[in-house]
Amino acid sequence: MVDAATSRLEGLRGGAIDPGTATVVLFLLGAAIFLLIGCLQSKNFAQLTIEGLALGSVYGSLALALVLVYRATHVINFAQGELAMLTTYIAYELMLKGLSYWTAFAATLAIAFVLGTVLQVTIIRPVQHRSVIATVIVTVGLFILIDGIVNWIWGGDFKFMKSPFGNGSFEVGGVKILHLYVGMVIVVFASVVLVWALFRFTKLGLGMRAAALRPAAASLVGVRVDSMLAIGWGLAALLGAVAGLMAEPTQIFLSPGLMQPILVYAFAAAVLGGLESPAGALIGGLLIGVALTLIAGYKPHIGPITITSELQLPFSFVVLLVVLLIKPSGLFGRREVRRV
Amino acid sequence: MKNLPALGSLLVVAGVLSALPFLISDYNVSLVAQVGIFFIAVLGLNILTGYTGQISIGHGAFMAIGGYTTAVLSRDHHTNLVVTMVVAFALCFVVGLIVGLPALRLSGVYLALVTFALAVSIPQIPLQYSTFLGGSGGVQSAKTVSNLWIYGAAWTASAILFVLAWLILRGRIGRAFRAVRDSEIAAVASGVELPVYKTLAFGISAAYAGVAGSLFVLATNGFAQPSEFDVFLSLEILIGAAIAGLGSLWGILAGAAFVGLLPQISTSVPVIGAEHGRDVVFGAAVILVMLLLPDGFAGLLGRIRRLARA
Amino acid sequence: MAVNRRKLGALLGALLVTVAVAGTAGASPQGTPGVSSKQILIGGTFPYTGPAALYKTIPVAEQAWYAYVNARGGVFHRKIVDKTIDDSYNPAQTVPAVKQLVEQDHVFAIVGSLGTAPGLATWGYLNQRKVPQVLLATGDAYWGNCVHHACQGSAKPWTMGWQPSYPGEAKLYAKYILKNKPKAKIGVIYQNDAYGKNYLSGLKTGLGSHANQIVDTESYSVTDPAPVVGAHVGALAAHGADTLVIFATPAASIAALATVPHIPGWHPLTVLNNVSANRLFMLTAAKNGASLNGVISTTYTASPTTQANLPGMKLAKAIIHKYAPALDQSLALGDGNIIYGLASAWTFTDALKHAGKNLTRAGLMHALRNMKETKNPFIYPGMTVQTSNKRTFPMEQLKIIKWSGGGSGDWHASGKIFSGLK
Repeated sequence: MVDAATSRLEGLRGGAIDPGTATVVLFLLGAAIFLLIGCLQSKNFAQLTIEGLALGSVYGSLALALVLVYRATHVINFAQGELAMLTTYIAYELMLKGLSYWTAFAATLAIAFVLGTVLQVTIIRPVQHRSVIATVIVTVGLFILIDGIVNWIWGGDFKFMKSPFGNGSFEVGGVKILHLYVGMVIVVFASVVLVWALFRFTKLGLGMRAAALRPAAASLVGVRVDSMLAIGWGLAALLGAVAGLMAEPTQIFLSPGLMQPILVYAFAAAVLGGLESPAGALIGGLLIGVALTLIAGYKPHIGPITITSELQLPFSFVVLLVVLLIKPSGLFGRREVRRV
Repeated sequence: MKNLPALGSLLVVAGVLSALPFLISDYNVSLVAQVGIFFIAVLGLNILTGYTGQISIGHGAFMAIGGYTTAVLSRDHHTNLVVTMVVAFALCFVVGLIVGLPALRLSGVYLALVTFALAVSIPQIPLQYSTFLGGSGGVQSAKTVSNLWIYGAAWTASAILFVLAWLILRGRIGRAFRAVRDSEIAAVASGVELPVYKTLAFGISAAYAGVAGSLFVLATNGFAQPSEFDVFLSLEILIGAAIAGLGSLWGILAGAAFVGLLPQISTSVPVIGAEHGRDVVFGAAVILVMLLLPDGFAGLLGRIRRLARA
Repeated sequence: MAVNRRKLGALLGALLVTVAVAGTAGASPQGTPGVSSKQILIGGTFPYTGPAALYKTIPVAEQAWYAYVNARGGVFHRKIVDKTIDDSYNPAQTVPAVKQLVEQDHVFAIVGSLGTAPGLATWGYLNQRKVPQVLLATGDAYWGNCVHHACQGSAKPWTMGWQPSYPGEAKLYAKYILKNKPKAKIGVIYQNDAYGKNYLSGLKTGLGSHANQIVDTESYSVTDPAPVVGAHVGALAAHGADTLVIFATPAASIAALATVPHIPGWHPLTVLNNVSANRLFMLTAAKNGASLNGVISTTYTASPTTQANLPGMKLAKAIIHKYAPALDQSLALGDGNIIYGLASAWTFTDALKHAGKNLTRAGLMHALRNMKETKNPFIYPGMTVQTSNKRTFPMEQLKIIKWSGGGSGDWHASGKIFSGLK
């Protein structure tokens, strides 16, 4: 019964493809073709694109966590990055105690899930129904608190974590592709696919989708909405943990500031893709990752202004703003219908 | 803030603030001055968020613009510091209007995150234009002032800007703001020119943040540098506004005091120690306060008043 | 009822006296803040948290040195107490921290603070109050150029650095490149702040008319992840550079070094700034796939690994083992930050001795501005720490070092000590 109701609701929201989405898909297709041509033309371009995709998968993973939480609770979890950082430190500690990388990885994901659910139940649930702003501020407080706790327990200095993929590389047509980058993309996509499968094919996933779409109706048919939200936070924390662990090699060292630069771009990716669209978040992340490496490698000009490293963030801001002015709910977002 | 607080409360606050510098050490004067600076910024954000419902996590960017205005004018033209604060007010008003325009297209969370991106991007600009804006070496004003000067300037400006806010909010503009917050659609239906008022609110709140920024730089020995305007600054202003709740004088004072004092006081907490006390205690305090008072301080006051009447 | 005027007067008088006493609490009997017959209280701001937190071993090493000196009776029977505050490398936090140290704690001097921007945020305040701001842990040229000349409005005679300046170091690299690879096509990657720009301008000055041999410069941001830094290095290779100069902080330096082997057929002469040449970072770079043999840098402190038999290095080992045992392991691996901290603190206590029993702030500055330190056991043997009316940079000497031995190798010094670098 839940099944039928949910699919009917989803059907209502779907509808015919609007011209907006068609434009976006065409644009993305164009971008993909541009990248492909570039890769075939220049080895440097190919290398940069692959690095960008690996970096982008990290942004996308964290952005996906943000979108998961937002879809379920309409709250932006400011602490998503710091949670990911905390779980990375937990992995570090487990490895110090002797666990192999992948054992620690699996254990950390499990711990992250539990941590996410516990946080939702203890500090988010009490405020969630009262005020959205208050909930956001709680996540901000959590951001600061986690940062403080990690600095306190482990210290602010930089630690070294062994890379799970080593330093080797594949060679394809003269282009060196680090095992690391391939590994990052695979791990992120594997996690994303697993979570997607959970949502799509399991009863639990169905319940979660129902709870997010129409909480009142869902609870009427027996879905424990509160528990679903908690599990949503757990899964988001799990995706965040993946992001953190995959991000660490790109920052060389493990430090409390690990996720802060990544959070900014993850927000951008989530907004760019549309806060309600998981696919959008991933695509947004990949786009941003590739754009960053290409800009760093080619220092393009826009009129008289060269996009140097100082202007990278302001440039990203302008691009984000322009995209949002054209599509205010992001590339794949839906315009909110506001009922009077 | 529809009604001006009772004359009694105003006099008490004014009296305490005037007497305080003579009773406490100079170091503590600088702390209370910080509260004054945050009072202005939180008041500004309150007008935007509390009254028109637009969320901005980027007011640190306006503080940066205001702060740099003061430092650069002073460095290059030896401008009188109070004059620089007025210029900062005006400049940030205009920038706020400009930011408010595209903000019209964005709603709720999207606006919040775009303003967050603004807050992160603006401090990068001085790194690019380092001859004029000092790069990471910063800009040093020609004149520096004492803690007492900043105290006086911050609280005088707070008083003036508070009265200004009251005047704006009691009149037509205020009614329009409240209409926008309560229901945009109804507001439009009743003839409120939505874009004008929403943009105006942005301009006003940015102007307030600009003045706060000027004072903030003066309190940092007149030295403006990008790392001073990090993400945490914008977050602190937001926290202050949330704790204040819907703009009563006491609420805003409470919010400003919370973000202005608590981080400094937290460094003296035993066990956790000076290094980490700041973040651990402050972070925990923010969570606790929001759990206990989701409607902020004003909500608490409302509840107390209702209890008192019952 | 009329107020009893006498009682009111007495009350007001008592209040005034209390305030006056409270205001002067902490002042020493001799009048020099922070100095009593038993101790000298100094203070400093350091990045225990934040982006520069990997330098936090420096204040720990400095405090270990003071503990050692105190155990031997201190300086003129005064123990040195060093109060450090975390400012997270943020000037907005440095200013209240320094104000607290000066106005609440009444420290004698601000010693060893780390960071250029934090230093610039507070030097006006400290110079105005005539509080020594000395042995700053950064190589920016400000600390030596502004003693007699006005910078940002006024001269800063109470401010002093310690380590060799960044432009001075860069000039030596220019000299080395022109001597060993006269036709070099130079590519520079540098951090986009004052630190990186100081180095770059020093390199250009050192190259003189050969500055056009710089084929490309790439700036990066301190928060950039490894792939982005790698992209910049790739751009340098794409512009035809055969000499790679890295003016970067440790994480980015490692990312840059690790990128080189992945650019097919590129074997540039690599020059690395000494702030990132710490052996610990080099070992990490090797673990990340960097090829280290032949990389050039400079040093001004002795090496606890290749020069372990020097009396100074043995002393360092003993002091750290006794007073900061948590640092034992990194010292054994060659952590140069620890030696830096010990060396800088040694200079301070040496100056205290020369300042005499009757210790004043002016006396300290006089001692620091007239140093001829040849016996510092922690700096490179043969180098001196020297100041005079004309010499405002205490250290102007460097030695070229080259890495050999691969992923478990070390830096090896060669050639002479270069002087006059500033």
